[in-house]
Amino acid sequence: MQKKELIAGLLVVLSTVGTVAGIYGIENYRRKKFYTVELIARAPENGNWYPQQLKIPYGMKEVKILIRNIETVTHGFAIPDLGVAVGQIKAGEVKVVRFIPDKRGTFPFMCTVWCSTRHMQMRGELIIE
Amino acid sequence: MDNKDKLFGLIDLNWRFELTKFKQVGKLFKSRWFPLLPIIVNLFIFVIILLAGFIGGYSSGSYNFGIMIVWILWWVMLMFILVPGFSRSWCLMCPFPIFSDWFQRKRLFGVRQGKLEGLGLKWPKQLKNMWVMNIGFLVTTFFSGLFTVKPFATFVLLGGIILLAFLIGLIFEKRSFCLYVCPVSGFQGLYAQFATAEIRRMNPELCKNHKVKTCFVGNECGYGCPWMLTPFDFKKNTYCGMCLECFKTCPYDNMGFFLRPPGVDLLSDTPREPRRLDEAWKAFIMLGIAAVFFLTMQGPWGVLKDMVRQATFKGWLIFITLHSFFCLVGIPGIFFIFSCLSKLFSGNKEVSLRQIFINFAYTLVPIGLGVWIAFSVGIILPNGSYLIHVISDPFAWGWNLFGTAHFPWTPVFTGSLGYIQGFVLVIFYLFATALGFRLSKQTYLDLSQAKRGWIPILIFLTLVTILFLWLYLG
Amino acid sequence: MKKLIIVLLSVLCFTATSYAAERFFEIKAKRFVYTPSIIKVNKGDLVRIRLISEDVTHGFFLDGYGLNTSTHPGQEGFLQFVADKPGRFTFRCSVTCGEFHPYMVGYFVVEKNLRLYLFVLLTVLLGVGSLLIILKNKPQQAHDNNPPQEPTMNTSNG
Repeated sequence: MQKKELIAGLLVVLSTVGTVAGIYGIENYRRKKFYTVELIARAPENGNWYPQQLKIPYGMKEVKILIRNIETVTHGFAIPDLGVAVGQIKAGEVKVVRFIPDKRGTFPFMCTVWCSTRHMQMRGELIIE
Repeated sequence: MDNKDKLFGLIDLNWRFELTKFKQVGKLFKSRWFPLLPIIVNLFIFVIILLAGFIGGYSSGSYNFGIMIVWILWWVMLMFILVPGFSRSWCLMCPFPIFSDWFQRKRLFGVRQGKLEGLGLKWPKQLKNMWVMNIGFLVTTFFSGLFTVKPFATFVLLGGIILLAFLIGLIFEKRSFCLYVCPVSGFQGLYAQFATAEIRRMNPELCKNHKVKTCFVGNECGYGCPWMLTPFDFKKNTYCGMCLECFKTCPYDNMGFFLRPPGVDLLSDTPREPRRLDEAWKAFIMLGIAAVFFLTMQGPWGVLKDMVRQATFKGWLIFITLHSFFCLVGIPGIFFIFSCLSKLFSGNKEVSLRQIFINFAYTLVPIGLGVWIAFSVGIILPNGSYLIHVISDPFAWGWNLFGTAHFPWTPVFTGSLGYIQGFVLVIFYLFATALGFRLSKQTYLDLSQAKRGWIPILIFLTLVTILFLWLYLG
Repeated sequence: MKKLIIVLLSVLCFTATSYAAERFFEIKAKRFVYTPSIIKVNKGDLVRIRLISEDVTHGFFLDGYGLNTSTHPGQEGFLQFVADKPGRFTFRCSVTCGEFHPYMVGYFVVEKNLRLYLFVLLTVLLGVGSLLIILKNKPQQAHDNNPPQEPTMNTSNG
């Protein structure tokens, strides 16, 4: 009886605290391993791109930007100068942008989907140094 | 009472099929791991739901695990399968009260002897009914424009329910929360009367001769009914939470889990479990909410949507006022008029108007269930495909657990939606008429009175069905 | 009788003349409502829809017909089709446009809405039918129909 009680308690702890800890642990590991930087997409009135300025060292093998649209409208992403673009990033969706930073300089990036009345202001810059 | 009462002349209302007669089922119901394991599985799922709701914040509900699982999958499952099929089978596996149970019993698996922990107060007598749940559920729907679309709001709602379950468990005895407070509990109880399954004692003689009612007081194998029912003689599904403790405590294995024809409980009216005004109001409220939900969520009227999503505070106030009035006064008022007509038509002088009103209100159980099932079809068919997406990427972090993270929004069979909804409404209308006339016979006792008194109610039910047909199809 | 036939024929002619009508709708989409939100056509009409967004990117998915288009400020959406299926169909926003996006819907009604009439008729017929059965049914009749099933009742009665 005592043993079964212990198993039941363990299962409850596992399914609550264990689940939360496990999920966060996996996510942290995954972020570090697979992505260079995380970019959050928000319309200008809700905070705009975060961070609005991305700094990436020149000569990296490949940059992987994880773009998360945490809003309720569709956004897009493009760095025209580098020829990088993803189509729609729907609300709640995640897209990954990959490119090789082989040019130095400051390049603007922007939203490419009409997301708000201030859509044209949804811009940021990428600095490769 | 007729011994062979057949629904539509086909389905014998006394027909029962015992599932616990199969050895495995019987053994399963006796095991203390059941329903503990399903509860823990659901606890796991709800932890993910809460986490997704918390992380999701104010992002889009369509791509949030919490919103989608709760409002698309869970809600639709409740209305579709769990309640109409298996009574309060959700309560069987519900994880909300696990912490209060754990606190009261100081154990999860074993059986504690003697008094339970906590203050163990009796629930106030004036509140031993559905009114708290009626109001609680209605108030919850005031915020439907938040809960069903904003992940964080769903987090607050579910977290609040779990916290409240725990707090009430500290103060009041056993499952007082489930019986008298939980907003999800009331309508399940109401519609469980229509369910095609039940838990009942089998041989009444065995119970009569069993002096110590272990199912009520508990023994070393299990707890006395946590829902404070008397498993040895209860007749209705309404307040049986299917926790299966009585299967464990019965030394004669005299409890059974049965399949049965739908709607049997509606015809049951005993002094111990009478038909009640609070339950009648639950039926009105549920019907009203279904209509209001349809108008605001699946209707094309932007004005209503702006009210519900709290675009302006004034608009929202107008919405909650009209909504409450419609559910609490409007529908019952119209129904009252038809009850008066029923009394008038019947020519009966003895039966009280109150009794007529209450008895016939139970005809709205099948109607309401049909309306909710049809409403749910209108949710799951267009939006069910979101589920395929969210199970692969529950936190919108770019996961792809099952390879379906990029599954696009795909409405299925929405062209046939109208036919499906119409069909459901008509089927449940039929059940309402068949059971309703039996209610009329119980109300008036004299057959010719029952026939005449039935006519206004039948007209009311027909009008309600046509109204919903018009809403859903026209 | 002749008159009736003439009336029927003229009704038929009338529906025939309205058969191939061309209908054009300009629908404005703004969070979370379409204007107009209910559009009605007759079966067989050629329907052309221009979709104009007034704020963000919106979509337009038509149930039953399976058609889809989208629009954002500066770019209109366009649909052209023959309304060959009668009934009421919901059109839904198909591009997530805000928190109420799943509830952004409108109705496309193709007259005659036979589904509605069919189900209403069915309900009324079933209601009247059930009432007739009930009214005709004499007391104890059910017992006479199947006496062997109720031996206890019969003996106690007798």
